[in-house]
Amino acid sequence: MSIAVVTWQRLNLLGRILAIVVPILLALGLVTIGVAYVAGPYAVGFLADNVPLLRFVAAIGAVLLLTIPTAFIVIYLELKVIARMNLRVGPDRVGPFGTAMSVVHGLKFLSKEDFAPTGVDLRVFTLAPVVVFGGSVMTFLVIPFAPGLFGLDMNVGMLYLFAMSGLTVVGLLMAGWSSFNKYSLLGGLRSAAQMVSYEIPLTLALVGVVLLAGTMSLNQLVLAQSGSIADWYVWRQPLALIIFVIAGIAEANRSPFDLTEADQEIVAGFATEYSGMRFGFFFFAEYVNVFVVSALIVTFFFGGWTAPFDWPFPVVISGIDPLAWGVGSLIALLLVPVVGTLVLAAPFWLSSRISTLQALVIGFILFNVVAVGLLLGWAFVSLDWVTGLFWFFAKSYVFVFFFVWLRGTLPRVRIDQLMGFAWKWLLPAALVNIFVTAAVIVIVNS
Amino acid sequence: MSIPETIPIIGASWDDVLFVLFAVVMLGSALLVVTLRDIIRSGLAMIVCFAALAGLYVLLGSPILAATQVLVYIGAISVLVLFAIMLTQTKAGPARLVFQTQWWAAAIAAIAVVVVVIGVVASTDWGAEATRLQSVTGDVARLLFSDYTLPFEAVSVLLLAAVIGGIFLAKREDRRDEAPR
Repeated sequence: MSIAVVTWQRLNLLGRILAIVVPILLALGLVTIGVAYVAGPYAVGFLADNVPLLRFVAAIGAVLLLTIPTAFIVIYLELKVIARMNLRVGPDRVGPFGTAMSVVHGLKFLSKEDFAPTGVDLRVFTLAPVVVFGGSVMTFLVIPFAPGLFGLDMNVGMLYLFAMSGLTVVGLLMAGWSSFNKYSLLGGLRSAAQMVSYEIPLTLALVGVVLLAGTMSLNQLVLAQSGSIADWYVWRQPLALIIFVIAGIAEANRSPFDLTEADQEIVAGFATEYSGMRFGFFFFAEYVNVFVVSALIVTFFFGGWTAPFDWPFPVVISGIDPLAWGVGSLIALLLVPVVGTLVLAAPFWLSSRISTLQALVIGFILFNVVAVGLLLGWAFVSLDWVTGLFWFFAKSYVFVFFFVWLRGTLPRVRIDQLMGFAWKWLLPAALVNIFVTAAVIVIVNS
Repeated sequence: MSIPETIPIIGASWDDVLFVLFAVVMLGSALLVVTLRDIIRSGLAMIVCFAALAGLYVLLGSPILAATQVLVYIGAISVLVLFAIMLTQTKAGPARLVFQTQWWAAAIAAIAVVVVVIGVVASTDWGAEATRLQSVTGDVARLLFSDYTLPFEAVSVLLLAAVIGGIFLAKREDRRDEAPR
């Protein structure tokens, strides 16, 4: 027997897997480097000449990818916050404080059977979740996350938003009809009636904001509110904010307006017959919608990514320029983790009787925490888009919490109360808001 | 090295290709609307047709018209049509209607529409109209509230009349008024 066979037989399972995987990875890496070396300049030149196209493709990709963590975070928040409100513990087994629970949810959907009952209109049945999910995801494209960080700055951004939320209704109707189930059909019809009715006050509430800002581009709207907390439209459009929040909850099919999937009355509404990842798309779309509505409230009324007070940042910290050190910066990059770990490990090693290895591990973890903290702090202070992202997400998640809070406390309304409220209260209130805003603008300008 | 203005072999520009794509989708789905036998699927094909038309509006440099097309035609009118079909039809009922009994009336109407459309297309100076129609939100609003105020208000009044008429037709006889008699 040759030495290779003997060595192979002595390896355990992990070793055998590694012995196969590592050479393949090395070969792939070498090929990648080779391809990048040969084709790199051409690729970079091509991309540099087509920045608008590249930006568009990158925006679409980023938008699609962003929905996954957003939905995961919102689902986890909902599980945990409602559990605390119910005096329960909530998820705490998977990951630290149960944070990986949403991922497990997603895996569960993937592993379930993709089931279509007899009598469904299979093509429409399959397309419906795609339309619903697509409608939710495409709204992300015009939301300004931070200065310069948005998919597209559309002149008609607000119209585009409402057009996309209209697509969701079509998807829900398709799901309700194609399921061949009376509860599904009821859910679909309810959702259509509800969303068509609430779209009107939702749109009209924003006319006051458009009158104030003079633009329908979401990015321009945020810029019009920049300054301090006093410049936000929430102070000038309080009625519009209330109407928008109520109608937004109804548009996102959230409790107390979640009649489309009222489980005590019509099982799960339009989603009754769905299982597996098809249901997963509906589930995802719902939580993405919660975030989108929160982000829109922040964008229209709470200044988007602008800071609540006059922020001296971004500042450039001068005096330290790592690029000017030449090779020294490389050595520093190698030395800092080692020295940092040792310095942070030293007090534990000296003070208590734990072993050297444990002290080193503690030191390493502490160093990572400190380094990441310092890096984020530096980015927050000196990069305006990091600051913008921070404020945008901080404000948005306040409203996500608000929506979860509503779900944890308010009972569901009845369908006739729902429609009556939209047409008899919200619509007149929105019209009054437009009239008063226009009158005040005319008086102030004259 | 940027993407060439025209497609290398065919020689058509990218806009033309997109136009052909949207036009094919629009005509194909429009045909499906009248040929499909399941009325719900006809309604869904109509939505695809409207979406392709919105794409054509974007190509023509009028995003506001495209957004309005999606908002009104897909988000409201199609939803209303689907809603009405779902309320009135059941799976047990005649979901697959036979349309052919009125083909001669449909043929006359279709030919009349084609003649009118050909007349309009032939009598329009497309070069002048196309340059005039580069619309931005502000310009559209300014035109709407200066030159076209009267038609705008007339349409509003017409819509209001239609809404009131619809409510009147749909309203049930109020029995409580008749009770004392």
